[in-house]
Amino acid sequence: MTVTAPLVPQLPPPTRPHVRAIRLLRDEAWTGALVVLLAVLLIWQSTQVFRWGAFELDTLFVSTLPLVFLALAQTVVVIAGGIDLSVGAQMVLFNCVSGSLMLHAGLGTALLYAVVTIVLAMAAGVLTGWIVTVSGVPDIIVTLATSFVWVGVALWIMPEPAGGAPDSFRHIFIGSGTAFWPALLCIAVPLLLIWTPLRRSRMGLSIYALGSDPQAAFLAGVDARRARITAYAVAGLFTALAGLSTTAYTSGGQASLVVANTATLGAVAAVVLGGVALSGGVGGLLGPILAVWCLSLIPANLLTLGVDPSYGEVVRGVVIVLVVLGGSLLRRMGSRP
Amino acid sequence: MTVVQSPEQAPEQPAGRRRVPAAMLALIGVLVALALANGLVDVSFFTLGQLRNTLLLAAPLALIAGAQTLCMLTGGIDLSVTMTATAVAYVVGSRAAAGDSTVTALLLGLVAALVIGFVNGLAIGLFGVNPLIMTLGMSAILTGVLTVGSQSFLGGATRMPQVVKTLGRGTFLGPLPWNLLLWALLAVGLVVLLRRTGLGRLIYAVGDNRRAARLAGVRVWQVETAVYVLAAVLGAFAGILIGGRSGAVDLQLASSLLLPSIAAAVIGGTSILGGVGGYGGTVLGALILTVLDTLLTRLSVGESLRELVQGGILLALAWAYVSSTRRATTRRRSG
Repeated sequence: MTVTAPLVPQLPPPTRPHVRAIRLLRDEAWTGALVVLLAVLLIWQSTQVFRWGAFELDTLFVSTLPLVFLALAQTVVVIAGGIDLSVGAQMVLFNCVSGSLMLHAGLGTALLYAVVTIVLAMAAGVLTGWIVTVSGVPDIIVTLATSFVWVGVALWIMPEPAGGAPDSFRHIFIGSGTAFWPALLCIAVPLLLIWTPLRRSRMGLSIYALGSDPQAAFLAGVDARRARITAYAVAGLFTALAGLSTTAYTSGGQASLVVANTATLGAVAAVVLGGVALSGGVGGLLGPILAVWCLSLIPANLLTLGVDPSYGEVVRGVVIVLVVLGGSLLRRMGSRP
Repeated sequence: MTVVQSPEQAPEQPAGRRRVPAAMLALIGVLVALALANGLVDVSFFTLGQLRNTLLLAAPLALIAGAQTLCMLTGGIDLSVTMTATAVAYVVGSRAAAGDSTVTALLLGLVAALVIGFVNGLAIGLFGVNPLIMTLGMSAILTGVLTVGSQSFLGGATRMPQVVKTLGRGTFLGPLPWNLLLWALLAVGLVVLLRRTGLGRLIYAVGDNRRAARLAGVRVWQVETAVYVLAAVLGAFAGILIGGRSGAVDLQLASSLLLPSIAAAVIGGTSILGGVGGYGGTVLGALILTVLDTLLTRLSVGESLRELVQGGILLALAWAYVSSTRRATTRRRSG
């Protein structure tokens, strides 16, 4: 042992608390910036709206719930180095599935159907991941094709807006009255129960490794196929939650290609603003959640300024482009000696 | 590329060249089969009137798919091209309604397209913004501007000039609509550009290996800027054709063509990873999608089955394409 001792790299000295704090600040700078941005937007809104309070928060958290889940779904796939253009279509599909199943159901049955929906969604995710890994067709194309298929299936289940869900089930997602904490709880529970253990596990590491450098991951013995399929399955889980929360929020289902595409693009935007690199391997799930809230507050704040809220779309587009532009400029400056 | 090829790879090169026509033949086969199926359902498909209808529908899609092909050949994608088309149609329609002459209206529309393409190209080529995000952002910006604009500065009635209407749905000769003539001209231009010009070579070079192209002295950002400007101009022509066909303009004018345009390029054998493909295949892809759509309409198939079939065909053809060229692709990646 004494012979090999010099070869062992010296362990860094135990980190002191303030060093750890600085490191945390550096690693989570993006998330921190988003928290500040969200706070600024909220304070701004509160100064503009007459008697600002729980109602505004309720509107913010509940109406964005589907998009938050969708952004999470997209994030998991992007971290694994892919992209999923079918998340919106999956949301629409599982909105229709759950909406048609839950019509006239009691709470117990509704919960059972929710589980069925989630299982179906994960199966759809596994199928997508399997096609991507086996066919060798770029994931953009595969998910573009499956997005047509999912909307087709959704239209077959529900040719016209219909369906419904029991109020007791809806309150799990949207709360009753202006209670916004059920929505937050709905986001927190899957994050803590599924994502946190996964991220700390071997599989989570594989997903990050695959996204950051597929070749290095392969050489390090990562089973790329399994990691990618797992990423799509977790994404499927989140799209099911997006579909279920849509059912709860709108109290029914609607199969619409336009809704699906808008939602997909919104999810991509949130991922980008959330500090998740499109090249993969970087980012967490907290950033995109904050990004969804920030993006949804921008039009509301424009309205209070007397600007046409339709310009919110313009601001959104500019923000997203500037964020990516800044990121790529920073990277370029960083790579130069 | 040829310099670094190892000896055992070199003899396979001719085989690689022969494969492209084979794929084209397969696509033509699919197209003929679909046309025959159409004919079986309703013999009138083979009448000149129906042929004209098919071409009328195919032209704008093929132009937008051409824009998509150009971007995909450099390894990019343009999600804003349909919004560009809509914006141009809006500008032309509202300027014409405001009393500008047709030429002025068309020129203003073209200027709008040039600006959009230039901004896209500069951001992607010079500043290295991811094409997917840049064009997605541009699409959002255009949507916002048009939504507001349709109520204010572009507001009021939109009226397409007579020339544009003729171009969009008028007949040039026999069964041939005017828009076919425009499409044919632009298609020949695109094929020549990609096959015979220096810019065409550079587009393939950038898409094949961006880094190698840069090291070889290609000004990559100029190539990419040119590509996105060209894509916007093609989008502008498509917008004018669609606007002329329908005679009116709305915000959803061309958006339904976005995914089919990518699908047409992919079906035609253009790789989204860049460097592989061409406009000939895209034209076939656009025709296949149009004829398929006609067939599904004829069978009075529901919306749901229509989406299913479109998605299924896109996936199946892309899969078949990749597995037939997989050996070449894996070799290129590992090399």
